[in-house]
Amino acid sequence: MKKYLPMLKSILLYLLLTSATVLMSFPLFWMISSSLKTLEETNSPGIVWIPDQPTLEAYLNIFKNEAFLRSYFNSVFYVTLALAGTLISIAAVSYAFSRIDWPGRNVVFFLMLSTMMIPPQALIVPQYVFFNKLNWIGTFNPLIIPGYFAGGAAMIFLLRQAMSQIPKELDESAFVDGASHIQIWWEVILPLVKAPLATVATFLFVGLWNSLLTPLMYLQTIDLYTLPVYVSTLYNINQTVQQWPTIMTAAVLTTVPLIIVFFFAQRFILESVVVSGLKG
Amino acid sequence: MPENPYLNVLLTAAFTVVFIIASSYALGFAARFIARLRGKSSKYQENTFAGYFFAAPWIAGFLIFVVVPLAFSLYWSFTDYRVTVKEPASWVGFENYRTLLFEDDSFRSSIINTLYLTVIGLPLQMAFALFLAVMLNQKMRGERVFRMAFYLPVILGFNTAVLLCWRLMLNTGTGIINQIIRAVTVAFPPFGYLNRGLIFIQEITTAFFLGLNTGKYSLMMKVLEAGFPAENRVPLWVQSPLWSKMSVILLMVWGCGAMMLIFLAGLNNIPRELHEAAEVDGASGWQRFWKISFPLLTPYIFYNLVVGMISSLQIFEPIFVLYRDNQPLVSSTISMVYYLWQKSFSHFEIGYGSAISWVILVIILIVTVIQFKLQDRWVTYDVY
Repeated sequence: MKKYLPMLKSILLYLLLTSATVLMSFPLFWMISSSLKTLEETNSPGIVWIPDQPTLEAYLNIFKNEAFLRSYFNSVFYVTLALAGTLISIAAVSYAFSRIDWPGRNVVFFLMLSTMMIPPQALIVPQYVFFNKLNWIGTFNPLIIPGYFAGGAAMIFLLRQAMSQIPKELDESAFVDGASHIQIWWEVILPLVKAPLATVATFLFVGLWNSLLTPLMYLQTIDLYTLPVYVSTLYNINQTVQQWPTIMTAAVLTTVPLIIVFFFAQRFILESVVVSGLKG
Repeated sequence: MPENPYLNVLLTAAFTVVFIIASSYALGFAARFIARLRGKSSKYQENTFAGYFFAAPWIAGFLIFVVVPLAFSLYWSFTDYRVTVKEPASWVGFENYRTLLFEDDSFRSSIINTLYLTVIGLPLQMAFALFLAVMLNQKMRGERVFRMAFYLPVILGFNTAVLLCWRLMLNTGTGIINQIIRAVTVAFPPFGYLNRGLIFIQEITTAFFLGLNTGKYSLMMKVLEAGFPAENRVPLWVQSPLWSKMSVILLMVWGCGAMMLIFLAGLNNIPRELHEAAEVDGASGWQRFWKISFPLLTPYIFYNLVVGMISSLQIFEPIFVLYRDNQPLVSSTISMVYYLWQKSFSHFEIGYGSAISWVILVIILIVTVIQFKLQDRWVTYDVY
């Protein structure tokens, strides 16, 4: 009897883990399955796990839907532009906080950490008025430009932790060879923190791709809508019958980039979140 | 500025880059100049220049996007400023704050709803995260796949598309979740009792919180009068004020992967020898968890509690996607941030909105400070 106990335990554990996995990924499965159903099937009172005759009708229709395609393009466009600037500026600021010894560094670093306590929502009202004065309402600018100023204290912190672990001798010897700070930053330090950079890039990407509140506030015409804003208009509370196959098709297409990025980046995320997330 | 929105933002971005580089040089030169005046060595001057040069983007952003907006919003919160009205705003003193704190029923609802999500949702979320982490920590084969599956909801989390999928699944009549509950309760009657019991407890708790909202406990009386739920009862998820918040909590629990990762790191940091020694002394797995793992995990629990509380006090997207425009449910679900959004951007009451954001800010600060003050009582740091 004693011999079988460990085996029994591991079978039980696998059962638990598998059922948790099924539960956690169920929404994803359901989203895909519903996108292949007909309208009758999504609203039927019986359970349709997988449609008998999967139909790609919703997919074919959504590729003809100009507003959807446009919002897809808008999302890709704005996320790329915002991501590039934010990532570079965060990399620069992390370099200042980790590799250079300058007067006032600790004070500025402490200030940066304390901004994590300020909920971003406390700033949205005055920022809105500020962007209104600049005539930026109805443009992509308010979604992109603030990030260029190294937006995201947590991300700076994560990258700074990674950069601090590189031995000091490395940049000192580069100095002796006559390299400037910009050269050391770009050619010596950044190639050594590729994994944390990938993590930061992933988090920034996910945050921008999922962002709803800011685009909703600033983009006021349908041809500028990003995906989350457009998709939220597909669900209309005033209709008694929702076009679920269409909505779920849009949902699948919205989540595909997230899943691809996560698949490639999960290795880095799972390590660096844990290492640097906690030392605060 | 060109009419084309894409060209427009590309130009603005290019201009911003130039501006940031210029301010980097300006700040760097200014700092070096001061260092030179103070007669420091050339190495020191060089470092001063480089430090301010590289940190300038953040410093400039901090001034433009944090300090100045905070100052303005503090000022506006004492005025009746509205974007739609052309006439200048007038000073109203503490009027906004007085109305907000003592007369505004919607704001009170939003605080109590947010409190509900924090008091009931957060512990459930953390418990589930800990449960998953403990299971993963058994070092089984395929751990990586499970870990990915548990973390994926964090990535998908608050995306509108995924939230709409939840909306579909939570449909009371035809939604898959209730369909499964119905099928299972018919197949196993004991589960039916469990289901009805949970429904009963849930409804009483929520009715009590709704009573706090309105000051009238008639709904709670009704739930009590109705007694133990009938046999064919199912949760009413996104249909009834009694369930609207539970749906949000379900989403929070689903997205517990980030907390799980933190717990996993904590469990990994516990020295194996401690467990081995306890095992030799004959401690059971259960005892070892509560006497060894749990106390050593308290710093990680504390971290999750602080971060989780800040984020649950700021919850917005799920409520927007699930309940926007749903008038009968709004008062039972609006969160503080949702209310801030509604006031500022549907009604354009900037002065009032600023007052709301300052109250939210102060609430979050108070809660965080209290947590840091209380941590000595239960968080164990001095082990290793």
